[in-house]
Amino acid sequence: MTRMRSIGHFGADEFALMINGIGGQGVQLIGKTLTQAATAEGKHAMLAADYGGEMRGGPSKVSVVIGSAPLRALPVLPSADAAIIANDKFGGAVPDRLRPGALLLLNSSIVDPARAGTAHRVVAVEATAIAAALGASQASGFVLLGAFNALTGLVAEQSLVDAMISLLPPYRRQHAETNTRALRTGAEVVAGAAVGAGR
Amino acid sequence: MTTHPATATTAASELRLMEGSAAIAESAILAGCRFFAGYPMSPFTPLLENMARALPAAGGVCINCESEIEGANMVLGAASTGARAATGSCGQGIALMQETIAEAALNETPLVVFNMARNQQDYFQATRGGGWGDYRTIALAPKDVPEAVEHTQLLFHLADRYRVPTLLYGDPLIAQTRVGVRLRRLEFGDLPPKDWALDGARGGTGRSRQTWTWAMGKATNPGPGPDGQWKRIAAKFDEIARTEQRSEQRYIEDADTVVVAFGSAAKFVEYVVDELRAEGHRIGWFRPITLWPFPSAALAEATRGARRVLVFELNAGQMIDDVRQYVHDRSTVQFIGGVSISDTGLAFGALLDAPEVRARILAALPATAGTGGTSAERSL
Repeated sequence: MTRMRSIGHFGADEFALMINGIGGQGVQLIGKTLTQAATAEGKHAMLAADYGGEMRGGPSKVSVVIGSAPLRALPVLPSADAAIIANDKFGGAVPDRLRPGALLLLNSSIVDPARAGTAHRVVAVEATAIAAALGASQASGFVLLGAFNALTGLVAEQSLVDAMISLLPPYRRQHAETNTRALRTGAEVVAGAAVGAGR
Repeated sequence: MTTHPATATTAASELRLMEGSAAIAESAILAGCRFFAGYPMSPFTPLLENMARALPAAGGVCINCESEIEGANMVLGAASTGARAATGSCGQGIALMQETIAEAALNETPLVVFNMARNQQDYFQATRGGGWGDYRTIALAPKDVPEAVEHTQLLFHLADRYRVPTLLYGDPLIAQTRVGVRLRRLEFGDLPPKDWALDGARGGTGRSRQTWTWAMGKATNPGPGPDGQWKRIAAKFDEIARTEQRSEQRYIEDADTVVVAFGSAAKFVEYVVDELRAEGHRIGWFRPITLWPFPSAALAEATRGARRVLVFELNAGQMIDDVRQYVHDRSTVQFIGGVSISDTGLAFGALLDAPEVRARILAALPATAGTGGTSAERSL
């Protein structure tokens, strides 16, 4: 189902994603959800987190690598095949290490797509607004993740839902339903725009 | 209580997404670790937290101590009863433990120290120790989480086999990166019985035993004394130095340039050397897996044909002392590493990055090397 392209290393069948945002947007959680979903599907996956001591508002970045064999990728990515920009306050709208032509998914409620230039395949999703309309403003990250996964087909949508639920602590179980709707709505708004992971 | 390795229980295990600290904790428990004590210090803290969560359920005890000194000495006490026991910290915390590590080495108490270091500035204290006496610490430096999981179990084995303290040289990337790992009990062979272990007046053998660095024994049953004890221990470390060297290397056969690195840094070097090889450079890499005993014979052999031996480490130059000592030709050695610390002070800085490593290696190569030159030029 999924075509994964090399991150440039000797036929390594690995796909590298960078997610940038600020603390409080769920950047770490969606990275973890995607990595957990890929692992549950029997793929090899790695998650490297980079965030400061702030609970909210500070820079929050995460990189995810998914492959079909034991990974060669480094925990500090030299380049990435795709990026999700939930907020461009710290990393800018285009990460330096994003490959030309790569998928660049923007939260256009916050990031002006005009700032993304023309070197990448830009897909804009009003994630914050969509999440608010769903009555779950904290779920904008899952809107982005749902859209990203629909665009790339890296894992099955149900795997994301299962992973999200498995990562919810007991006191957050009430969010499972709205998070699921956020994932599905994100996928719906990019329907027809699938770019695949192999472009 | 016996902590001798059980027979192999290596049933197939599934791939689980785990943070390095959690994977190391579970691997230690699989190895039979039943006592852990330490004091929080990032990036070691998550290992302590994971132990605190998982050890009681495994029938063990984890204690969050008032200081690193207390933790190390609690572990010394637990290990003297024959339990597999471990502590950990990083940097200054490991420095505080050095007196206890030296005591354990000289009174022959096996224990494991998890140094989840903030960077590579702990090489000296991992391999030389800050304690007194003629001892070294077996130190394994994994390059990533799956290897750290394996090293964790090997360190408990080596500690028991030689009755020595052993040390894992981890780092923030190993502590915090999440990857899929398969956890299972690993077997490394038979171990001598722990007939030296204190087993109590009731329920045990009832025999009085003594664990003493000076080994003077008792009036009625004298020991070998410090002269005999320390000569024997020195000979034991000589034997370990001969038999426990571990290393890995690639592309050495025709390499003009060999890059030496350890731990996570070696993984970055490996990645960059693959790139440079593909571009036509005659370059290879060498990785000490045991920092002590340093893989002296393998390094000498691997650098026999090299014109340049580049040392990349995230410090001001510590492992380079060992490289200079054992390399085929000392005049070929160049330092391309450096101190590089993140803004938080808790992790690696900007130098641990593939483009940076690449730039440092290329700067050390002659201008004609690589794809720019003809094959005749490259052979110069």
